Amino acid sequence: MSVFRLLASRILFSALTLLLVSVLIFLILEALPGDVATRILGRDATARALEVLRSQLHLDQPALVRYFHWLGDFLRGDLGVSIATGRPIADVLGPRIVNTLLLSLFAFVIYLVLALVPAIIQATNRGKAVDNVISVITLILLSLPDFLLATMLLFLFAVAVPILPALATISEASTWQETLRAMVLPAVTLAIMMAVYAIRVLRDSLIEVLRSDYVRLAELKGLRPRAVLFRHALPNAIVPALNVTALNLGFLIGGVVIVERVFSYPGFGTLLIDALQLRDIPLIKATVMISAAVYVAANLVADVLAILLQPRLRASR
Amino acid sequence: MQKLIEVRNLNIAYGSPAGWTNVVQGVSFEIARGEAFGLVGESGCGKSTVAYRLLGYGTVNSLVQTGEVLFDGTDLLKLDAKSLRRMRGNRIALVPQNPTTSLSPGMRVGSQIREMIATHKALPPGMSMQARIAELFALVGLPDVGHRYPHELSGGQQQRVTIAMAVACNPDLLVLDEPTTGLDVTTQRQIIQLLGDLRSRIGMAMLYVTHDLALLAQIADRVGVMYAGQLVEVAPCDQLLAAPAHPYSRGLIASIPTVAGTERQARGLRGVLRRDQMSTGCKFEPRCDFASAACRSTPQVLEPVAETRTVACMKWRESAVPETPAVKPRLDAKATAKPERLLSIADLDLTYRKPGLFDKLLGRTSPSVVRDIDLELRAGEVVALVGESGSGKSTIARAISGRLPPRAGLISLDGGLLDPALKSRSVEQLRQIQYIFQNPDVSLNPRRRIRAILERPLDHFGIKADVKTLEGVLENVGLHAGYLDRFPEQLSGGERQRIAIARALLVNPKLLICDEILSALDVSVQARIVELLRSLKEKHAVAMLFISHDLAVVQQLADRVAVLYRGELMQLAETETLLAAPLHPYTEMLLEAAPGLSKDHYVSRPPAMPASKPVPGIGCPLAGRCPRQVGSVCAETRPPVQATGSGFIRCHVPVEKLATRAAPPVEKRPAAVV
Repeated sequence: MSVFRLLASRILFSALTLLLVSVLIFLILEALPGDVATRILGRDATARALEVLRSQLHLDQPALVRYFHWLGDFLRGDLGVSIATGRPIADVLGPRIVNTLLLSLFAFVIYLVLALVPAIIQATNRGKAVDNVISVITLILLSLPDFLLATMLLFLFAVAVPILPALATISEASTWQETLRAMVLPAVTLAIMMAVYAIRVLRDSLIEVLRSDYVRLAELKGLRPRAVLFRHALPNAIVPALNVTALNLGFLIGGVVIVERVFSYPGFGTLLIDALQLRDIPLIKATVMISAAVYVAANLVADVLAILLQPRLRASR
Repeated sequence: MQKLIEVRNLNIAYGSPAGWTNVVQGVSFEIARGEAFGLVGESGCGKSTVAYRLLGYGTVNSLVQTGEVLFDGTDLLKLDAKSLRRMRGNRIALVPQNPTTSLSPGMRVGSQIREMIATHKALPPGMSMQARIAELFALVGLPDVGHRYPHELSGGQQQRVTIAMAVACNPDLLVLDEPTTGLDVTTQRQIIQLLGDLRSRIGMAMLYVTHDLALLAQIADRVGVMYAGQLVEVAPCDQLLAAPAHPYSRGLIASIPTVAGTERQARGLRGVLRRDQMSTGCKFEPRCDFASAACRSTPQVLEPVAETRTVACMKWRESAVPETPAVKPRLDAKATAKPERLLSIADLDLTYRKPGLFDKLLGRTSPSVVRDIDLELRAGEVVALVGESGSGKSTIARAISGRLPPRAGLISLDGGLLDPALKSRSVEQLRQIQYIFQNPDVSLNPRRRIRAILERPLDHFGIKADVKTLEGVLENVGLHAGYLDRFPEQLSGGERQRIAIARALLVNPKLLICDEILSALDVSVQARIVELLRSLKEKHAVAMLFISHDLAVVQQLADRVAVLYRGELMQLAETETLLAAPLHPYTEMLLEAAPGLSKDHYVSRPPAMPASKPVPGIGCPLAGRCPRQVGSVCAETRPPVQATGSGFIRCHVPVEKLATRAAPPVEKRPAAVV
């Protein structure tokens, strides 16, 4: 099968997954008790006003019709109007998504370093003290809940040694230096939470690859250790860690919600919590759909990278 | 002769939680410039450990206790990492055992060679890297495959790539670690031919490590025989093979099955190498036929016995006397009445791919792995299924055992039709067919004792058995009751395979499917398992479908041979007839490629029409590779089935014409691309 057919089938499956997610979200929110029109207009609204609003919101139509209506709007980019604020959701979401994307990107870069460096150190010093020390540290971090880690970091670097701001509140008026400083603590928290999983997987797969015949042949070709590691060992060891990274991105979406809350960072996560608390159904639908899309896309990217790194996969049926 | 490398009194130990084990003891030898030195011995004798030390390499848990490896005067064992890197690849290069796992999977093979040349700055002056790589590919008989990934090449091509890589910097010494073990016979011979060719052109020395003396006969000048970490004999190759002096060398040579070796002289080796039963004297003493009390306490060291020959045995004079050939009575007394038909396979057609929805809609069919197989087995008969890897031998076995329902065709056992799917077969039918797998290390449950492993099939088929039954069956396969309480990991490979055979025999089957059951074992163990199978066949009248790629083993055991190529039956004949007059061109190729115990100057026959490509499913699959191809008819039409004395062949060339064997090619041609 050609690479393109493989890619096309993966993309098709991703789209199907998202479609299923949209059905699920719709059904769950549909099953919630309460009437949207009453929520918007309040308990003492007249029956007439409620009816008018319902027909405006198409609530008088059957669920199937409303689903396709919503899906069609969503695909065209019309995310609807927030019930709580009355503003178009796209306007509310836009800047928040940008903020969260910035934070995630920053966290992801730190994550790569935090995952690769210890894993390489461990695998090349297997069984030695440094290997065991890193193992213990990752195990401790692994067993900490994310909000606790966030709070600890907050206490350490904002209270005990106040070098970083405790609140990551940024606005359009902040300079980029302020934004960056504000993002350090939440980004590091997210990165650590993700890296501890990846380190373990990467260490084990790197140890296995370092024992392989092709690494031995590379050594016996007289290559420098660095060339052996980076050219022959690492590209093959990374593949199992890619799947963990894709799962990690899923965590990132969940983690962002909590970490943003702890640091009061005005991102997508805080918005999602607000939407849930206010039962702002159109906003919930939009945010959940977007996070699902990010998750599916991350897995797609991991799959594609794995195929690129392992030419063998391209040949498999 | 000028010494290139000299190993002096090498002692290596492996560390484990239990302590240090000596794996190499007092090994000394030298290799002259341009000389090919072979190191031979059974698995675990330490030959690879020694070979890798010639590259200054050892695993983390191994320790060189004493010794020197002098390469051009410098001790490789004392070199620092940087100087060692300058040697490796550049002056001493490795050809690894398994090319499939030794080439970096994510890197194009051209880049892997480029990296080697670039690291050592070994590009010949005035030559571009591209041209040099193409030249290297041409040298090993490959087209320019530099842009391919390893998985896109066949095993033989991959090995050619590693050889091209090894000679890229014109090294002085090539270390070859069982370089042809995983390859088919014909490919194996082409690689050997290539190595000999390269040696005469480039003039490098070789250390060739193998368990296969027949192969060494084709390439080595001198051979060192290793046993339990010690060299027991060093001699010129032809002298060693003609008149081995050490009892171990004799046993090893006697154990090798060869196609021509029907008049077997000395007896093979008994017992196995057990490092926990070492005497303080000669290591081989527990297995030696000539041992005396003095052998047990006196350590043996290599002593010169002739100008070019050293032996570590004080009784070599006694053992070197040739035994009177014990003529084995060939059991030709075949029953006059033909036994009844046991298994019959008709028009078998197998595929691994299930057609997808799209394929069904478009009416496409997936290609068959195995086509048009008709085969019969009579009760108590041994039929060998022979062919190269990928020819569909095991696939057919899977279909018979019910693990791969065929696309078309009928399989019947004892007159009753067998259901295609395993789960729809009756318990009785399941019992009658038993399967023995290639690798006993993975086919026995490591967490159960032998007793439980043996009792499991008895429980399953509701056969009543007492302790005597288990002891009896163990005795049948040459083991004793003490094995019942052991775990598989406490057994050697040969013993494990015996357990697998015992397990299959317990339920009293009518048909045993033996799927390459010897290929994971050492030659001496192989010889004894063959012996065992032969006696079982006579005692129990059990029929066997014996799958193998090794014609030499097959001839010792099989009544008839079926030759398979790319999923099609090329020939079926009685074993002796087939060996005497192969008739079919493919059988002929296989027989010629099987190495004998002397240098046979094998040159692969060039294909008659290399450009021709068989029409899939219609033309003869051998078209394009066949040295006797008569024309495009071979590639385009189905070869007719021609009856021969004891079977048939499927070939376009008339039998009469095939019966006159073509004269061996005189002119030495470059090796064909595998």
